[in-house]
Amino acid sequence: MNEDTAGLTAQDTAPFRRLHPLSILMKSTTMLGRNIIAIIVLHFSLFDRNIAYTLLAALALITLVAGVTALIWSRFTYQVTDREIRIKSGLLNRNNRSIPFDRIQDVSLEQNLFSRFLRLMTVKLETGAGGGDDDGQLDALARPDAEMLRDTIRDYKAGFSADETAADDPLVAAEAPPLFAMDNRRILIAGLFNFSFVLLAIFGAVAQNLDFLLPDGFFDPRRWIEALPEQEAINSISSEIRIIGALAAILSLVTIGLVSGIVATFVREYGFRLDLVDTGQRGFRRRRGLFTRTDMVMPIHRVQAAILQTGPVRACFGWYHLKFTSLAGDANGETDHSAAPCARLAEIDPILDQCGIHQAPLDLEFGRVNPAFWWRKAVFAGLIITAIALGTGFFLHPGFQAISLLALPVLLILFLNWRHHQYALDDSQIYVRSGWWRRKLTILPLRKIQSIDISQSPLDHPLDLATITLGIAGGSAIRPLKIEAIGFAKAMDLRHRLLSRITMPPTAG
Amino acid sequence: MIIRAAILLLVAVVAEIALRLQLGVEPGMVLIPVILFAALIVFILPGRIYRRWGYDMGDEQLRILRGFLWRTDTIVPFNRIQHIDVAQGPLQRLFGLSTLIVHTAGTHNSIVTLPGLATANAEEMRDTIKDHIRQDMI
Repeated sequence: MNEDTAGLTAQDTAPFRRLHPLSILMKSTTMLGRNIIAIIVLHFSLFDRNIAYTLLAALALITLVAGVTALIWSRFTYQVTDREIRIKSGLLNRNNRSIPFDRIQDVSLEQNLFSRFLRLMTVKLETGAGGGDDDGQLDALARPDAEMLRDTIRDYKAGFSADETAADDPLVAAEAPPLFAMDNRRILIAGLFNFSFVLLAIFGAVAQNLDFLLPDGFFDPRRWIEALPEQEAINSISSEIRIIGALAAILSLVTIGLVSGIVATFVREYGFRLDLVDTGQRGFRRRRGLFTRTDMVMPIHRVQAAILQTGPVRACFGWYHLKFTSLAGDANGETDHSAAPCARLAEIDPILDQCGIHQAPLDLEFGRVNPAFWWRKAVFAGLIITAIALGTGFFLHPGFQAISLLALPVLLILFLNWRHHQYALDDSQIYVRSGWWRRKLTILPLRKIQSIDISQSPLDHPLDLATITLGIAGGSAIRPLKIEAIGFAKAMDLRHRLLSRITMPPTAG
Repeated sequence: MIIRAAILLLVAVVAEIALRLQLGVEPGMVLIPVILFAALIVFILPGRIYRRWGYDMGDEQLRILRGFLWRTDTIVPFNRIQHIDVAQGPLQRLFGLSTLIVHTAGTHNSIVTLPGLATANAEEMRDTIKDHIRQDMI
């Protein structure tokens, strides 16, 4: 392409470049993929299974999509100067965006199966402002171009000019032994704990959407009841066989859950590798993915807090999931960056060391919150369940009274959640544990605290309790870091201790 | 508050008329409790809420108390503040008041507001805080 003049005085005169032409092919294919269902639906409904009409419609659609994509491509240009990147886009509404390198938080390169085949890469620029769509995205560049752009931005941030570091290739430098990597066996273990019914849900959704292919009334239970042999046939089956049948049904559900968990984990985490990169600005580089390979660099000084996640079963085997809270969110709408999906504590320590966070010392005593944390919720849950049980039992069928049995597990879970909601404070970090099923330990360096709230709801006044909310840069807005149901005096004391350490002259950014 | 009470009264009147036409409920069954509640909102709550608003400029931090039923006590250290606004609505301009708005980098509490300050006071606070803001705190 027309890049031969680049690299001269790369001032505002830097050439405007286009995306790689093959990206037209890539984009139109993905768009067609989405519309193929519509064509199939049309084939069966409107066109009355006339293959000629369908082919004609498909052809028209392909030309339309390819044409529009090509038009969009021709109107999309970007320019990389030595301080910022400018993107001009839009057919009718022209948009001229400039993103200063200073404001770019993360540069991530992404490849899905198709773009890997075409040797293209999508460059995503995270500025930390709002949702993902608002930031810059170059979809897609040739692989060397994409890597060069990333290195240009990284070098700028490291304070070098572009030509100084052009010689050493950071890709080669990064191939030192990884900080953390997962082999297939480890991914399998991670998948076992990732038990999910996603696959089942997908099957269900597919069956729902394709039901026009099935004979009428396929999902109508009456049809099946009629089709079933007489009731006596079922009655004649011995009770053992019935129990075996029920067990088999449960077993198959569990198997589907396990398999789908393993498959989903393999797709996401295949070839997981976390490296330490040190080109001027220290950062973690993470590569993972089976079909969609992502390559992300997260500067270490942007790490705000570490989160160690585990579950009751996983904890027994000593597996933990390490995540980092950072300014910009991870892909797929996750708020925290996954740094080690399935690791032992001994493997996590060196990663934490790199960003100056340490594990809770063994002798550190965690404090529990007030028992009101569970019994207050338990009273409400109990009231609601009783009301539902009585209501449905009275109006519908006495059998619904059995709903009240649900109260037991609910109470148990609330109680266990209370047991696992703990906090501790040492010289430089605060530790907050929460959740029994999804156990989460947040380690937050005190110098990263942005604000502290102590709030009391009307229910808290009579018990003299309060909730402490800590403001962290990044992380989930819906579920901020909280210490709930702590005595008011204790809360004030804790905040005083936190503040005395925050407002000291900052040692490091 | 007055607006909220007015809307509540309007809804109550509609409900009252509808119920009378449909079911023949005695007049005043809905309206009277609602009027009492509206009076509470208009005459008693604002005073209480006003009394709960408070702020304290420390040497290193800004502390803001607010809320009557749901009480919150926020502390923002000065060196965690990203930028500051002093805002004025049309009504506030009439009374010479301003709102101090403090932005932090946190996702929770990214905007902390302190309304109803005398304008001169708010600007003075802004200048004090401005001196404490250092670059690159995140």
